[in-house]
Amino acid sequence: MKPGLSDERSLEHPIIWIAVIAGALGSILLLKAVAWLAFPLILAVVLYYLVQPLLQRLQLAGVTPGQALGIFLGAATILTLIFSLTILPSMLNSLADFQNQIPTYWDRLQGVLRDNLLALESRFSFAKKAGLANSLQEQLNLFLAGSGKEYIADVALFLLHWLPSLLLVPFLTFFFLRDGTAFHRLVLRAVPNAFFEKTLLLFDRMDNQMRAYFRGMFGLTMLDTVSLGLGLWFLGQGPGIFGFWDAMFLGLICAIFAWVPYIGSGLGGILAVATVAVKAPSSSGLMVAVVLLFLGVRLLDEFIYTPMTVGRALRMHPLITVMMIFSGGMLGGVYGLLLAMPLLGIFTVLGQMFAEIWFDPRLRARYQARGLLEKRLASKDLGI
Amino acid sequence: MDPLLQVVSGVPIFRDCNRAELEALKLHLHERNFLAGEIVFDEGEDGEGMYVVIRGKLRANRKGILTKKSLGVIQAGESFGEMALLGAGPRMATVVAEEDTTVLAMFRPELVALAQARPRLGYKIAMGVALVLESRLRRFADGQSTEPSAT
Repeated sequence: MKPGLSDERSLEHPIIWIAVIAGALGSILLLKAVAWLAFPLILAVVLYYLVQPLLQRLQLAGVTPGQALGIFLGAATILTLIFSLTILPSMLNSLADFQNQIPTYWDRLQGVLRDNLLALESRFSFAKKAGLANSLQEQLNLFLAGSGKEYIADVALFLLHWLPSLLLVPFLTFFFLRDGTAFHRLVLRAVPNAFFEKTLLLFDRMDNQMRAYFRGMFGLTMLDTVSLGLGLWFLGQGPGIFGFWDAMFLGLICAIFAWVPYIGSGLGGILAVATVAVKAPSSSGLMVAVVLLFLGVRLLDEFIYTPMTVGRALRMHPLITVMMIFSGGMLGGVYGLLLAMPLLGIFTVLGQMFAEIWFDPRLRARYQARGLLEKRLASKDLGI
Repeated sequence: MDPLLQVVSGVPIFRDCNRAELEALKLHLHERNFLAGEIVFDEGEDGEGMYVVIRGKLRANRKGILTKKSLGVIQAGESFGEMALLGAGPRMATVVAEEDTTVLAMFRPELVALAQARPRLGYKIAMGVALVLESRLRRFADGQSTEPSAT
């Protein structure tokens, strides 16, 4: 059977498609239940796929796998030390400054929102009747008086809860890099002979799919960061809102938001507009310019960056993509939003391969024949 | 040296590999056990890798017009399925274990990745495959065998 043909056939079975979607959503639920372990595990897998090409390059230069890992660990330790001694203190200072400025920023943001809603009320009678500006103010006051403090406590607890779990990331990555191949062989030992070659192919396809996805996402994030960062820096130069690194940092945060397809870009845009609103409350023209910048980068994403990076790694119908993201978000919150697409990609490959194996009568016959041979061997001297 | 690597180093394809290269190769060897009468792969199915016989004996058959045609016996220390290293084309014969047999399987994408990481080793393997296929074609052309016997 030709590979292309078998792929098409394996996707013809509606049961497979239902199983693929159910598997992806079920995994989101499962991963959410063990989030403290799953989160560092996923980060470690991402790091593994990002670091692996570096190790391969070192091996290409004639270094053994063990030496390559040692060189990488040494370099990573030195870079971490340099980061801790130089950049980290200034970052912590900036964070402390930001924390002190939060009340001012909050007042400014409220002011901008109130001014815009009042402008809306002056133009449209329905908005005036609804009393948008006053009701927003009431809601914000209520939030600050009541649950706002609880949320801050929740966030602090959340961060404390995650810190030990995040420390697992380098530990897990190290073992993935060191023992990944041996573990792969161990898992394959359990596969029956009849399905062995197909299973090897499945592992290879999954590996390629994940590698393409994570590397593509990394490249896309870098391109988005640079485009948004440069754009924000350029726009913010006149009013003196952003320094170069501030703009790049904001660009990076927005690019990370964009990991959630469709919704993330919008959230990133809102964050950038809110930042501009806080920094320069009176320049509404600049806010419009930021919105246009985001639309421009979105178009670049769609037509140039994504085909260049993530490309064909996850070629899904937009309707399925949106439905999966919302379902994932509903079942697993932020976690589900982020994981819905990569999990769907992995389960699609699993579904295709399972169908290829399961619906191949010859492979099943060979598996059953092995069972019969084992049975015959076991009962050889029993006279049955 | 590891006994498995000793067998692999005797296989014509890997004869030029040094010890370090064989150690790198070892990470990508999958040991499989087949019972007498069990099929290793079928003629016509997509080939994904090659095999080296560690212990036991196998037979390669090819479908004839009325009956199947035996291409010969594959003994310990010999390899089969090398054609799959060149591309995922269909297998050219069915290989069945004649007695309980242990083989080492080498999967094409893993060998390709290894060859990319270590081009020198990749070159040696590619040359080894070419030489094995060349000698089989030569035997076929000389009339010493009735089929090219590549699997």
